[in-house]
Amino acid sequence: MTPLGRTSEPAQTTRRTPRIGRVGLLAGGLVLLAAVAVLSIGVGARPIPPADVVRALFDFQGTDDHVVVWNMRAPRALLAVAVGAALAVAGALIQTLARNPLAEPGILGVTAGAGFAITLGSALGLAAGQAGELGWAIVGSVLAALLVAAVGRSSPLRLVLTGVALTAVLNGVALGMRLRFPDVFDVYRFWSVGSLAAREQAPLGLPLAAIAVCLVGAVLLSRALNALALGETVAHTLGAGVARVRALALVLITVLSGAATAVAGPILFVGLIVPHLVRRPAGGSVPWLVLYSMVLGAILLLVADVGSRVLLPTGEVPVAIVTAFLGGPVLIWAVRRYGAGSL
Amino acid sequence: MNTRLLHAEHRTVAVSAVLAAVIAGLGLLGLCYGASWATPGEVLAALTGAERSVVITEWRLPRVMAGLVFGAALGVAGAIFQNLTRNPMGSPDIIGLDAGAYTGALIAITVLSGTSAQLATGSVVGGLLVAAVIYLLSSDRGFSGLRLVVIGIAVNAMVTAVNSWIVLRADLEIAIAAVGWSAGSLNGVDWADLRVPFAVIAVLLVGMAALSRDMHQTLLGDAVAVTTGVALNRLRLLMVLIGVGCTATVTAVAGPIAFIALAAPQIGRRLAGAAGVPLLPAALTGAVLLQGADLLAQMLLAPVALPVGVVSTAIGGCYLIWLLTKEVRRA
Amino acid sequence: MFTRRSPGLVGALALSLALAGCGSSTGGEDASGESGETRVFTADNGEITIPADPQRVVATGYAVPVLIEADAPLVGISSWQRGEPLMSEEDLATYEELPKVAGEQAAETNYEAIAEADPDLIVIGVPAPVLGDIDVERLESIAPVVAIGPTVPSAWRELSRKQADAAGALDRFDAVQGEYENKAADLAEKYSDVLPQLKLGHIGEYGEVAKGTFQREFSGSWGTNIAEDIGAAYYGEVKEPGPGSRAVSEYPSVEELPDSLGEADAITYSVKADGSIPESVQYVMDSELWKNLPAVKDGKTFPIQHTEAATYGQAMRTLDAIDESFAPLLEQ
Repeated sequence: MTPLGRTSEPAQTTRRTPRIGRVGLLAGGLVLLAAVAVLSIGVGARPIPPADVVRALFDFQGTDDHVVVWNMRAPRALLAVAVGAALAVAGALIQTLARNPLAEPGILGVTAGAGFAITLGSALGLAAGQAGELGWAIVGSVLAALLVAAVGRSSPLRLVLTGVALTAVLNGVALGMRLRFPDVFDVYRFWSVGSLAAREQAPLGLPLAAIAVCLVGAVLLSRALNALALGETVAHTLGAGVARVRALALVLITVLSGAATAVAGPILFVGLIVPHLVRRPAGGSVPWLVLYSMVLGAILLLVADVGSRVLLPTGEVPVAIVTAFLGGPVLIWAVRRYGAGSL
Repeated sequence: MNTRLLHAEHRTVAVSAVLAAVIAGLGLLGLCYGASWATPGEVLAALTGAERSVVITEWRLPRVMAGLVFGAALGVAGAIFQNLTRNPMGSPDIIGLDAGAYTGALIAITVLSGTSAQLATGSVVGGLLVAAVIYLLSSDRGFSGLRLVVIGIAVNAMVTAVNSWIVLRADLEIAIAAVGWSAGSLNGVDWADLRVPFAVIAVLLVGMAALSRDMHQTLLGDAVAVTTGVALNRLRLLMVLIGVGCTATVTAVAGPIAFIALAAPQIGRRLAGAAGVPLLPAALTGAVLLQGADLLAQMLLAPVALPVGVVSTAIGGCYLIWLLTKEVRRA
Repeated sequence: MFTRRSPGLVGALALSLALAGCGSSTGGEDASGESGETRVFTADNGEITIPADPQRVVATGYAVPVLIEADAPLVGISSWQRGEPLMSEEDLATYEELPKVAGEQAAETNYEAIAEADPDLIVIGVPAPVLGDIDVERLESIAPVVAIGPTVPSAWRELSRKQADAAGALDRFDAVQGEYENKAADLAEKYSDVLPQLKLGHIGEYGEVAKGTFQREFSGSWGTNIAEDIGAAYYGEVKEPGPGSRAVSEYPSVEELPDSLGEADAITYSVKADGSIPESVQYVMDSELWKNLPAVKDGKTFPIQHTEAATYGQAMRTLDAIDESFAPLLEQ
């Protein structure tokens, strides 16, 4: 991928936020995250007084209220944190790697790859259970990501357009399959709108472990990516194996977004907006960009998930629809602000 | 330079002649093929009125004509958007017109009673609204084709989210009918469905033919176009209106048939070896693609007919993957 | 405006293969013995003049299993995957032999194949909103068309009767209906001491795991209407009634399970045709909230098979299944 045009390359900013300020901001983010998590555990279809919510968490008695809090809402909040962090970090990595502020896992066809693979798997009757779905989703997203990266490497815009084209193809072919099999259609139409509801009984250990490992990996790799972001020649002199760093980053991106998509369905735009919002405080440092994205992504998805429960009196608006309506306008604003021509 | 231009012209004429022959062949095949095979002799007799055959003149002929005319209209719409955005991805189905039409149709199916008239109206209104929103959002401080594409993608994502939510809330049977509509189908069209759309498309295509010289001037660069006296903004608006009009008209009758608008102009361009995206090859290629896809859709699982959109998507998908691998080799 | 969802991935693949392998129908000779007499029939699409004694009938959608069971003179049908698990072997053989003139979706209607079948009556059994996908005028140019689509879950009795009436197959239909009613009366007698005094609730199979909802069915819904014929009493009503099936069932969040079914003495739940528990019901039963319900603690939960029965013949199998399921009540 040759650098081209205006990119999101780290500004060699002289206004570096002092270290204390950065740590303080991160701590503040974590406090906010905890607060939002508690809120999300308190909100739901069954009204539970805040005192009981706290009691359920620290003194579990097995009453219906406690079951709802401990067995249903707490896992859901944890899932929102994991999925939000995974998508946001995947977005931060891919924007750094592609030097393209418009890159995000969903737009790059990773999500469509996962969805297509899951459709194929359930049509063949081989995508039984969470582990099966996760496997299909990861294979699909890796293949899609590789294809898009191979074709779109010459320019940031081409990367986005290739992703859109591939998304359209995969969705079209999957549609054909679903029209033949009404049962697959019924499964898919619920998977196709990302949601965090009712995942509390699913065996989430494997995907959550994959996400945790990759989040740590992203933090470790972010320094090398920092060198890469300064340009390839600089990276060489700094001794970062350019090709290896790239390959590793691509693996992290696909596993993060694939695992998140497998457990929650397609959730667009989180990976796009969050890195934009934290770019300024991160001041061009990739490690800080990754850390901030992780925290803010988790906060954003928790908030969207609470929103999905309270927006309509009729019940749940799936969380992916909330994020689409948060993210679409941000993308449009970004295009008008940066000017698409200079992307 | 001149000789090259001439050469390209000759080649375009030759290619168009070949495509026209293919169209005639596919059209005849479409008239022959059905639950029972009619020989070309019988078809000709029915067409000339020597024999009466309701199936051939009232059932198969409208379907074949719809395949050819709608294919051409979609090809032209795709060429218009690709010229406007200077981008092979600038096609009505990528930038959200189809998604908007689908929203209108979904509302007609799930909220109203889903009659054909409501479906047609809903899809046209939805497509036009989304087109207007995208155009307004992308046309500030001068026009940029790229901005139009990216904003189209963003709007498309939002509209698609709404669509999948509506499908999610509907009962399965209605959801499948709605999704089936979204694949596009030429099954069961008859003359009564086609009179108005054909008239509209004819007017739009004639209008586009009148504008085509100006359009090709703009391809040489905005500066050149301005000096040759082309009023750029008016031209762009007219092109958008014609492109959206073609897409909306087809969608109202047959549903959003994906990929014809995306693939036909590019295939036509490569066949003709022309600079820019010429309109005539795009139209002829579109007709070949849609009629071919419709024949395949009828044959694959006979006697049950697939929605044509599923087949056209597969064809368009193969084309795109080919295009992408070619780009990879070139990169 | 109710619709029934497909009951699991049963035979979808097999059917597609059968479809692909089934050739186009042969044009039959003109129906002989037509009396030529007509009558006016009231259908969803208006007052239709139909043959008094149709000889060659084409059926689609919900009308397919009804007319097969009523021994109507069928010459072509649409494929109808969801009805297969409930058909008797004999009916299934008939279903597989008959030429298919339309797919699962209304948009896949093959008009030429219908014309080749040369029917004198076409009975369409799809919900009203799906009619937009069908070119009714073109069908009418082939033969008179009566559209009789589903409305509310328990209306299958009237619906199937109308469809059989249009096709002139009431004799056989009435015989089956009589059998069903006798059987239901016998069972009502058998359970009269234990069933009517129970406050029953029903968990349907159309809850959505992906949304975290369950389906509570009340009186007159799919899961309850046949059990009510033998004296079962389902309590409660929909909080916010909607059209069609939404008047008799609702989809609350699983968090509301204790509020919804806390007062039930016993709970019935829908299972698939092979007796296995559907994912949507399993999800509810795996929840700790379910295990806290009084009825569950009492061990009073009863599976009901074949809840999507839409003909009297199928409903007989449902009665047998209910009888088997409720048997433990008599031992107490």
